[in-house]
Amino acid sequence: MTETFQFAALAPVLPEISLAVGAMVLLMFGAVMKDRALNFVSVMSILLLLAVGYWVSTMPSDKAAMGGSFISDDFGRFMKVLTLTGSAFAILLARGFLTAPGRVLFEFPILIVLATTGMMIMISAGDLIALYLGLELMSLSLYVVAAIDRENVRSTEAGLKYFVLGALSSGMLLYGASLVYGFTGTVNFAGIAKEATHGGVGLTIGLVFVLAGLCFKVSAVPFHMWTPDVYEGAPTPVTAFFAAAPKVAAMALFVRVALTAFPTIAPQWQQIIVFVSIASMVLGAFAAIGQTNIKRLMGYSSIGHMGFALVGLASGTADGVQGVLVYMAIYMTMTLGTFACILAMRREGGSVETISDLAGLSRTNPALAFFLAMLMFSLAGIPPLAGFFAKLYVFLAAIKAGMFTLSVIGVLASVVGAYYYLRIVKVMYFDEPAQAFAPMRGELKLVLAISGLLVLLFFIYPSPLVNAAAVAAKSLF
Amino acid sequence: MSEILKDYLPLVVFIAVAMGIGVALLVVPFIVAYSNPDPEKLSAYECGFNAFDDARMKFDVRFYLVAILFIIFDLEVAFLFPWAVAFGQIGLFGFWSMMVFLAVLTIGFIYEWRKGALEWD
Amino acid sequence: MDELWTTYLWPLIVMVAQSVLMLVVLLIAIAYILYADRKIWAAVQLRRGPNVVGPWGLLQSFADLLKFVLKEPTIPAGANKGVFLLAPFVTCVLALAAWAVIPVSAGWLIADINVGVLYIFAISSLMVYGVIMAGWASNSKYPFLAALRSAAQMVSYEVSIGFVIITVLLCVGSLNLTEVVEAQDGKYGMFGWYWLPLFPMFVIFFVSALAETNRPPFDLVEAESELVAGFMVEYGSTPYMMFMLGEYVAIATMCAMGTILFLGGWLPPFQVAPFTWVPGIVWFLLKLLFIFFMFALVKAFVPRYRYDQLMRLGWKVFLPASLAMVVIVAGVLQYANLAPK
Repeated sequence: MTETFQFAALAPVLPEISLAVGAMVLLMFGAVMKDRALNFVSVMSILLLLAVGYWVSTMPSDKAAMGGSFISDDFGRFMKVLTLTGSAFAILLARGFLTAPGRVLFEFPILIVLATTGMMIMISAGDLIALYLGLELMSLSLYVVAAIDRENVRSTEAGLKYFVLGALSSGMLLYGASLVYGFTGTVNFAGIAKEATHGGVGLTIGLVFVLAGLCFKVSAVPFHMWTPDVYEGAPTPVTAFFAAAPKVAAMALFVRVALTAFPTIAPQWQQIIVFVSIASMVLGAFAAIGQTNIKRLMGYSSIGHMGFALVGLASGTADGVQGVLVYMAIYMTMTLGTFACILAMRREGGSVETISDLAGLSRTNPALAFFLAMLMFSLAGIPPLAGFFAKLYVFLAAIKAGMFTLSVIGVLASVVGAYYYLRIVKVMYFDEPAQAFAPMRGELKLVLAISGLLVLLFFIYPSPLVNAAAVAAKSLF
Repeated sequence: MSEILKDYLPLVVFIAVAMGIGVALLVVPFIVAYSNPDPEKLSAYECGFNAFDDARMKFDVRFYLVAILFIIFDLEVAFLFPWAVAFGQIGLFGFWSMMVFLAVLTIGFIYEWRKGALEWD
Repeated sequence: MDELWTTYLWPLIVMVAQSVLMLVVLLIAIAYILYADRKIWAAVQLRRGPNVVGPWGLLQSFADLLKFVLKEPTIPAGANKGVFLLAPFVTCVLALAAWAVIPVSAGWLIADINVGVLYIFAISSLMVYGVIMAGWASNSKYPFLAALRSAAQMVSYEVSIGFVIITVLLCVGSLNLTEVVEAQDGKYGMFGWYWLPLFPMFVIFFVSALAETNRPPFDLVEAESELVAGFMVEYGSTPYMMFMLGEYVAIATMCAMGTILFLGGWLPPFQVAPFTWVPGIVWFLLKLLFIFFMFALVKAFVPRYRYDQLMRLGWKVFLPASLAMVVIVAGVLQYANLAPK
């Protein structure tokens, strides 16, 4: 009991602690300053996220803290930098939404910072308790964020739906975690891996429940039902955030749990992942075809993309994980760019979000149309854009692991998916022009330009991302 | 008898006897007292006139708010109990751990105060 | 057979006998506490109070009991009958149950469990169920609104009571009520009891106890000008009496808690000759009655609070103050090295 407390032992957790403390300081600032605080709080949140992102990227890795429940390795650092960047850009995208007249939501950036803290804990989780802690911190913040426009019925409905289903999935995950703990006698991932070699029905059921909970968080079929509704109902900047950082973090957690806690029973979870992956790709491809609302369409699109990313995990190799990492990085870039475009869809009466509103955009706003078209091509996976390479890496890994059926179905699904992405391009370039949009806000232009250029020019110089992903992937094996 | 039984059985017996007294008090008037109910006597009291509608109506959301705040703070008290009892043994680290927890909680408290969650007007 | 008798049956009989004795004494004591309450109130208002039944009205409470028993019990047509009758039962039994762990003198208690404080805290938290059940089951507007108010009021002040108890526990280092009393036994006599070092907490405890038991000036539940008779509007006969009984037993419990936590339980004020001759139970009762006397005086003197004032006092004054005191007490104990080992 009287062991002296070493402050230095907390070093690997310091970025998370700084984020949490930062969020609380900003909260106090906001609470005292009320509506005048918004600008300051959002700018400080963005700077805080970026600063912590830089800090994490330069930190030494392969450290554990808190008795092994917190792991800081290359994989974690890669994913953390991604989520931090994604969250920072999400706050940037929300500036227009937050400063709309009659709205004082200084909590929004703070909630995103808190959610990001949860994501970082998730990514670094070394045992089931840290996993759940991080997951809940993220999820609770996300529920609130989904309902943040509380005067709006659709937003509150989205928040409530997300909360109810999210609570259910958290329950399943907890149930699975308790089974895993019961059958292995430890909550530590490394310990579980050691004990899991004996297998057993109980452990498998626990594994299935844990994976079900995780599938919900990455919105993979058959736990995807909430995604289209929440994406459509939540305010657009919130949807942009949902589609980016939390997906990355949940995918990171998925990979870590599968590969560090259950490597010894890989054949069992691989079957599940293969099924989930195929189902997500197929559903994402077919269900999106009939959509008219672009946010809903992006919801189905993200389901499909999670399916593609899971192809990499299904292979269970370092190559596969590298594929997942590259995929998530590129997916996040594309998504943020696309949502910058969607946020730019504003007329005098407010924002619009049906696909037909984009008609003839090439004539009213050629630059926006060009970038959106490039992003759509990239999402569809057409070479030489970034989205193509993302798919290439995961499918190559799957083929190397001998999963030919999975790869073939994946390629077919991406061909079907290309249809609805290309339909948007067709609407923009070949339909009669609709009324022009209001001029784009500066920060949207910035986000769109960054994301569009990254997507366009990725093929020229892919090595930094690919190499970093390779190093990160290796740290799990 | 085992230790735990020695400690807790009297408690159970005591509650059982108290329940016996409660049941006796509750039942007695139904046996000994005069009873002649009529519809007016059995209708809900509403200052003399008939009830307009169901009494289980919507009520102020602030009652929910108080309930939620209560859960937060009561849980906190529940965390404090074992900490307070073991205070002498847990040393400086235990002291500061709880102080950090209380600080986080206080921040939440200040926030809800400033947001007007404690206002009743 | 013999062993069964000596190890199980005989102790069981002893327990039942002790419980019955304790409860009977408690109920009789409550009868006189009620009488005292009315007398004190009357005295403040220059009235005589009950003075007809028995010498000086001493049998008034028993006459009331008889009257309640002979009254017609009614259950409103729209009520949920089961819950309607369960509510007074829950209130009354829970209030009585708390007394199982209260040491009225050294070793004089039914169950010497090591989590006594927690048990009392739990029981008093459960008391709110009786109120909510009564308000809901009555299916009438006044009881419903009163039950909501009362529930919010009780839970609000319970938080401060929790913090107050924490500060005492910090000084004691045990949840056992007997040890709480023994920890106050020092060379300074009554100046070593916790009322002096923790005086602000004693005040907060006293006021919170008033609110927790719905006593005036916090009797908004029965604010007769607004809510007729609160959540008990639809009740009559012994069900009504059981609410009153539960309320007064709860008040007595709170007085006993105040005695144990702050006034040294059964300890004599000074550990010197004439004081130590008096048995502990007398000291305990004297202290309990002293706190009850203050309860009664507050009822007579202080006008009723408005509901928003009540909530403000609970959440904006007592909660921060008691939270701060927890921090201060813990800090002082830690850094002055006074923490019980």
